[in-house]
Amino acid sequence: MTLLAVNNLTKYYGKTLAVNNISFEFESGRCVALIGPNGAGKTTTLQMLAGLLKPTEGTIQFQQDNKKDDIRSLIGYLPQFPAFYPWMTGREFLIYSGKLSKIPASEVEKRADKLLERVGISEAKNRRISTYSGGMKQRLGIAQAIIHRPKLLMLDEPVSALDPLGRREVLTLMEELKNDLTILFSTHILSDADEVSDELLLLHQGEIVEAGPMDELRTKYQTTTIELSFENNLEAYVAKLEQLSSVVKTSVDKNIVHVTVDSIEEARQEILTNALEEKWPLTDFSVNRASLEDMFMKAVNG
Amino acid sequence: MEWITLFNKEMLEHWRNFKWIWVPLVLILLAIMDPITTYYLPVILENVGGLPEGAMFEIPELLPVEALMMSLAQLSSLGVLVIVLMSMGTIAGERKSGVAELILVKPIRYLNYITAKWSALLLIVWVSLTLALSTSWYYINLLFGELSFTDLLLTIFFYGLWFSFVITLVIFFSVISRSPGLVAAFTIITTIAMSIITSLFGKHLTWSPSNMSGHIEYAIVSQELTKDLMMTGLITLILIGILIVGAQQIFIRKEQIN
Amino acid sequence: MELLNQIDWAVIAPIIVIDLILIIVALVDLFRRGETNGPKWIWLLVILLISLLGPVVYFIFGRRQQ
Repeated sequence: MTLLAVNNLTKYYGKTLAVNNISFEFESGRCVALIGPNGAGKTTTLQMLAGLLKPTEGTIQFQQDNKKDDIRSLIGYLPQFPAFYPWMTGREFLIYSGKLSKIPASEVEKRADKLLERVGISEAKNRRISTYSGGMKQRLGIAQAIIHRPKLLMLDEPVSALDPLGRREVLTLMEELKNDLTILFSTHILSDADEVSDELLLLHQGEIVEAGPMDELRTKYQTTTIELSFENNLEAYVAKLEQLSSVVKTSVDKNIVHVTVDSIEEARQEILTNALEEKWPLTDFSVNRASLEDMFMKAVNG
Repeated sequence: MEWITLFNKEMLEHWRNFKWIWVPLVLILLAIMDPITTYYLPVILENVGGLPEGAMFEIPELLPVEALMMSLAQLSSLGVLVIVLMSMGTIAGERKSGVAELILVKPIRYLNYITAKWSALLLIVWVSLTLALSTSWYYINLLFGELSFTDLLLTIFFYGLWFSFVITLVIFFSVISRSPGLVAAFTIITTIAMSIITSLFGKHLTWSPSNMSGHIEYAIVSQELTKDLMMTGLITLILIGILIVGAQQIFIRKEQIN
Repeated sequence: MELLNQIDWAVIAPIIVIDLILIIVALVDLFRRGETNGPKWIWLLVILLISLLGPVVYFIFGRRQQ
């Protein structure tokens, strides 16, 4: 079931085009990463979805049971640099957020305490937020975004400002939340997206340059290279390789032969058969997997 | 329910940052300072010296209502400055710090967000003003002669409307600007401009809120609730209403961030 | 000092009490606060040395709005 459908969303700041006519949709239960370099329009897109910015053009449709419901009650949102009331305690802020999200007064305290436990800051819950570390604030930020059990959780660069330890904690938390919620998060760090998301939206200069499920994109952008190294006689084997039907072309770089092929499966079969029969002095055989970086570069450069 | 939640948060904040203590105290000081120093001026002058031997410095006897006007004059200058500075960050500061971004994505009505903050500030201002003018009234009765309790109530009520108008201006400009400093500057400039325009076109602007103190004085002297005072109060109330609705309309149309 | 005798202390005492309360509250806030606008010791001097106005200036400008 489609949870969110975005059509032709465009945003101008004055004359600057920040988001250019993007459309996408995803189903509930997914974890979607909005990837792009800084300035690609990620934050603007999320802020439009959260209702903080008005789109210049385009529509945003949430799947909702009752059309009259305030869309904001269906989403949880954590901005890139969340600010709190420093004079409140973490627990007070969470309860305040919960009340504003229309959680019944009888339930809100219980839920807040449970949630503080879950995000791992319950031992600091009665301390003022001004004493919290960056990682603790981020976890409090996630807690305030999910206390009303939204259908969609939106996180803007949830880990990029954190140290390695805080980053690991937040990624683990996201991994857990994935089971109960639909998550849309932005990041410019590809390995983070790789780790937790099922689906990618690649944003570049305000446009979506590629989108789809992680596995599909992997297959699509899979580089078709095999790398070989030999103990000796490199040139002779390069010549032999070039005669194989599955090989498109070869190149040599520092004693490693890069073999471009059409189909990994066919080429692997053919090369390894030959190598066995002719007793090639192979020292290395590897199939190059596409990294997200490669995928991104390819998508951006066309 | 939602409004109460927002309002309670404001009250807690004003309590935690001691506004509930220092704003009343400062207004009390401002209100009693001039009547007391005036009363003791002859004594002070005598002791500080500077007056030649035998020279008597005659200070005309001050009427109670004149002493009260001294209190209002201080409240109208420094008092306005204090209440503007203490309230300038209430919305602008939240938008500047970014915490508004967390609050405004919650399913709340913007009108509630604005009026809860406005009401919390008004409550502080009204309580502080009541304490300040009551203290001043006490001193005036002690030092200058009788001023009736009704006169005190009338002064609190109508002067409170003027302070409410100032707070409403702060709220209005907070919606327009994200900088607390600018909000304070706009508000002060507006009140100064209003009083200049009122004095320039006095004949046509009898009911300008800037004339509130003058009408209060006249009402106390003449011992009747004058039409001018009531109309000025009414005009002030109407302006407050327009500003609050205007603030909400701008808030809805304006983007909440950036 | 003739001045001291001529002044009715019942009139002046409340002003002194208000000033003291302002100073104490400002000091409590100053010591509880993590960070201020500018160095803390300057605010300490402002609060203690500038009568009446010092604490007020601290309340309005001393506290950082985060």
